[in-house]
Amino acid sequence: MTTTGKHPGSPAATEDPAPPPRRTPARGGTSAPAPLRWLRRNAVVLAGVASLCYLLLPNAVVMLFSFNKPAGRFNYEWRMFSTDAWTDPCGVADMCGSLGLSLQIALLATVFATAFGTFAAFALARYRFRGKGTGNALIFLPMAMPEVVMGASLGTLFLNTRVAFGFVTILIAHIMFCLSFVVVAVKARVMSMDPRLEEAARDLYAGPLQTFLRVTLPLAAPGIAAGAMLSFALSFDDFIITQFNAGPSTVTFPMFVWGAAQRGVPVQVNVIGTAMFLIAVAVVLGGQIAAGRRRRRG
Amino acid sequence: MTATGAPASEGAAPPTGTGPLSTGSAQGDASGTAARRGRRKLTPYWLLLPAGLWLALFFVAPFFYQASTSVQSGSLEDGFRVTWDFTNYSDALAMYGPHFLRSFLYAATATVLCLLIGYPLAYLIAFRAGRWRGLLLVMVIAPFFTSFLIRTLAWKTILSDAGPVVGVLKSLHVLDVTSQLGLTGDDRLLATPLAVVCGLTYNFLPFMILPLYSSLERIDLSLHEAARDLYATPATVFRKVTFPLSLPGVVAGTLLTFIPASGDYINAQLLGSPNTQMVGNAIQKQFLNVLDYPAAAAMSFILMAIILIAVSVYMRKAGTEELV
Amino acid sequence: MTITLSGVSKVFGDFTAVHPLDLTIPEGSFFALLGASGCGKTTTLRMIAGLEEPTGGTVLLGEEDITALPPHKRPVNTVFQNYALFPHLDVAENVAFGLRRRGITSVRKQVEEMLELVELGPLAGRKPRQLSGGQQQRVALARALINRPRVLLLDEPLGALDLKLRRQMQLELKRIQTEVGITFVHVTHDQEEAMTMADTVAVMNAGRVEQLGAPDELYERPRSTFVANFLGTSNLIEAEITEAGGEELVLKATGTDSVLRLPAERCAAPDPQTGGKLLVGVRPEKISLTHAEDDDGEGAGTQANGTGARRGAVNGANGEGNGGADNRLTGRIRDAGYLGVSMQYVVDSPVCPEFSVYEQNVERDARLTPGADVVLRWRPAHTFALDATQDADAGTVEEAL
Repeated sequence: MTTTGKHPGSPAATEDPAPPPRRTPARGGTSAPAPLRWLRRNAVVLAGVASLCYLLLPNAVVMLFSFNKPAGRFNYEWRMFSTDAWTDPCGVADMCGSLGLSLQIALLATVFATAFGTFAAFALARYRFRGKGTGNALIFLPMAMPEVVMGASLGTLFLNTRVAFGFVTILIAHIMFCLSFVVVAVKARVMSMDPRLEEAARDLYAGPLQTFLRVTLPLAAPGIAAGAMLSFALSFDDFIITQFNAGPSTVTFPMFVWGAAQRGVPVQVNVIGTAMFLIAVAVVLGGQIAAGRRRRRG
Repeated sequence: MTATGAPASEGAAPPTGTGPLSTGSAQGDASGTAARRGRRKLTPYWLLLPAGLWLALFFVAPFFYQASTSVQSGSLEDGFRVTWDFTNYSDALAMYGPHFLRSFLYAATATVLCLLIGYPLAYLIAFRAGRWRGLLLVMVIAPFFTSFLIRTLAWKTILSDAGPVVGVLKSLHVLDVTSQLGLTGDDRLLATPLAVVCGLTYNFLPFMILPLYSSLERIDLSLHEAARDLYATPATVFRKVTFPLSLPGVVAGTLLTFIPASGDYINAQLLGSPNTQMVGNAIQKQFLNVLDYPAAAAMSFILMAIILIAVSVYMRKAGTEELV
Repeated sequence: MTITLSGVSKVFGDFTAVHPLDLTIPEGSFFALLGASGCGKTTTLRMIAGLEEPTGGTVLLGEEDITALPPHKRPVNTVFQNYALFPHLDVAENVAFGLRRRGITSVRKQVEEMLELVELGPLAGRKPRQLSGGQQQRVALARALINRPRVLLLDEPLGALDLKLRRQMQLELKRIQTEVGITFVHVTHDQEEAMTMADTVAVMNAGRVEQLGAPDELYERPRSTFVANFLGTSNLIEAEITEAGGEELVLKATGTDSVLRLPAERCAAPDPQTGGKLLVGVRPEKISLTHAEDDDGEGAGTQANGTGARRGAVNGANGEGNGGADNRLTGRIRDAGYLGVSMQYVVDSPVCPEFSVYEQNVERDARLTPGADVVLRWRPAHTFALDATQDADAGTVEEAL
């Protein structure tokens, strides 16, 4: 028991000597020189920061090149600083239209996938019933399937049943692949909810509907919100499945970028990418700061 | 696995059940009074109905159409008919065998790289970040919000022939070594297998980091202290305590990386060359350009079968069945 | 209001949680259901609350049959185990929850009064997670009591609190119950808690009520080995009846010549006959321990020195008819433990391998150390007898392990 006193709670504080004599104590003269020890102790931090840089490097490049004034149609090489694209983001034909289409589809797909997925998550988290295993497998499979397979097979269905490709087929496809992610997010939340809270509500004169609205729903809300946000992001950014199920006149934003990659990428694409990145980071950070402040004030 | 067929959406009479309805556990929540019991028994089926029906119609049913398409023959002009002709499969393997091989090779390499690159970052966020934890998590998720096509195009800039990366690698003679290994050629990075793997690794890295982080974050810190107290060096603590406890995250992360990577065609298209095409490119070309639907169907069936077999073997080996 | 359970049972799959049970909980009483985990006490409580539907039988509240009523229509409220406070609502809204669901809009005054009663007024705006365990417990209590239920159900309400706080809350709950005067039904596994608070205790074991009665009655006159062992500690000696039929039963401890006596009315076994077997029991604190050197043989409680004298004096002061001689056994101390208020001895005796004896820590005899030969004495009036056909270890800690 007494030895535990030597180990401080914070994992960051690893200054203490290990109990066995295998390692030399830090205080009484060290074998390795100080910089090397520092390196060894912080190797994981350095590696992690390097990973983060790898992760964020393309965003930095996208942002930088949104201020470029390229020579030709392709925005791959730096020429000179310019804010032309930022002052005229919709200056490229069809781009803002495709952006609007993507937002529209993402919004609708999110609404349906969140609603259906939440119902299913409650069924799978809260009930024991015959066929539950099948239900779970059905939810899991779309996540274990490469997009190209799902996209091609759904496209085959529409071809065979002579459904015209367009807005509706894209929406159907997006709801399909978003569903599973909503179910997983909501189910995790519902499973971690104490069923006694709902019992307490029923005990305190809340009928089934009141219990659901006043207790169950508010408690499950973070999971539902996470599922909805995930749906929106997945739908907005989807390219592969969309490509297999889009019509000639329904060009979503990712499809516009794909086409542009063949014909020539306008700088405005970088503007949109950067703007969305900044908006999302601002929203998330703002939310976190607000939550932190609320907690501290509490 | 593929023939999960009639899904739970059939409501009251679904196929093979998981077990008896009441399983002796005192979970009071799911039981009601006798009068309500009959109705409540159906509640889960009603709740599952919309999602189940949707997936049955637009996820399961398409596979049956695809299965029948894959054994059709004919041409676009004369129409396709089911002839139970399995040459689509043998042709696909004969023509696109290298594509399949490349797909799994690139995806596996990218998965291993994701694990190596992602683990330190997940570890850093879970254990060493302190009050920066929230910010770092945002930073991991943030790239998602810039369309991944745009980000992949950014790699084109980064790896371009006149870019700084190629310049540095050239002056260090690294490219000489990699071209000896067949990973690159002609003093360039773009249009090489290395660029494709690099793009795949980058694109699916967050899918590795997030599950890793969530399983690391759950580890009780006192376990580390207990291990230290019991004479474990920091390295042993990691080997014997931290890593084994993070295995569920490793399994989930590798699956979430490998599966989409093996079917991806965007990285191969934008960063690669005709010699680095993956099976996704082949399916996309057959379906959208050549309009040879039977060939596309046969290839995506083969891809699906290989992945399902690989995943189920892997999951059995890893022992983590419950991922959902 | 009186609660009457008649023939109430609960079956989960192939596990019977509660066997058909008849129980009347009188109006205004503080009633405890006591038992180890899994004995069916919580299930019984949940059937009263309406959270569990009985497999058979009826639940009456006063005259009204409430068996089929869903929980939100029953004038019964529960203080849940771990409290089940709504994490998304503050203290005041938690407390107001029940009132609001019944359509009462002006709740402020009532909430204030109720928080006053549980001494939480200043914390009305806090969220549950910002409260200590004891404070959460009070909120849970206030949230239930504000509805003025006919019956308040408490499911292990003090289980999550530390010992000191638990003691304090026991007294507080008792005070509140007296103040509001409604029926409390309290589920607990802590026998001390049940005995301090309740005026009637039902001891449950394996889905059945073993014995029901006032705490002192259960303790002094247990009717089964389970109750004898679960409530406190009992020393049980297997013995054979040598004399029956009179006011006093005389027995002989199996395998020895030690004679044991007890009043016939203190025998729980039906119709004891000469030659029959019984388990003779005595509580550890009823026994007086004398060093063998000081023992004067078969004499009654009239020793001249040491603890014997004190015990004799106490007996004399009680002044009850000290008719027969004390029950007397010999043994050797195996272990002595210092508990502060008392000494705990474990004595090896030919009739019982581990005799527990508690001696008040007043004037300790320095010779009473492990290895010392001793004489154990207690009065027949403190002796009880149980049916010998049951498991003598039922309800002990060893059995639970």
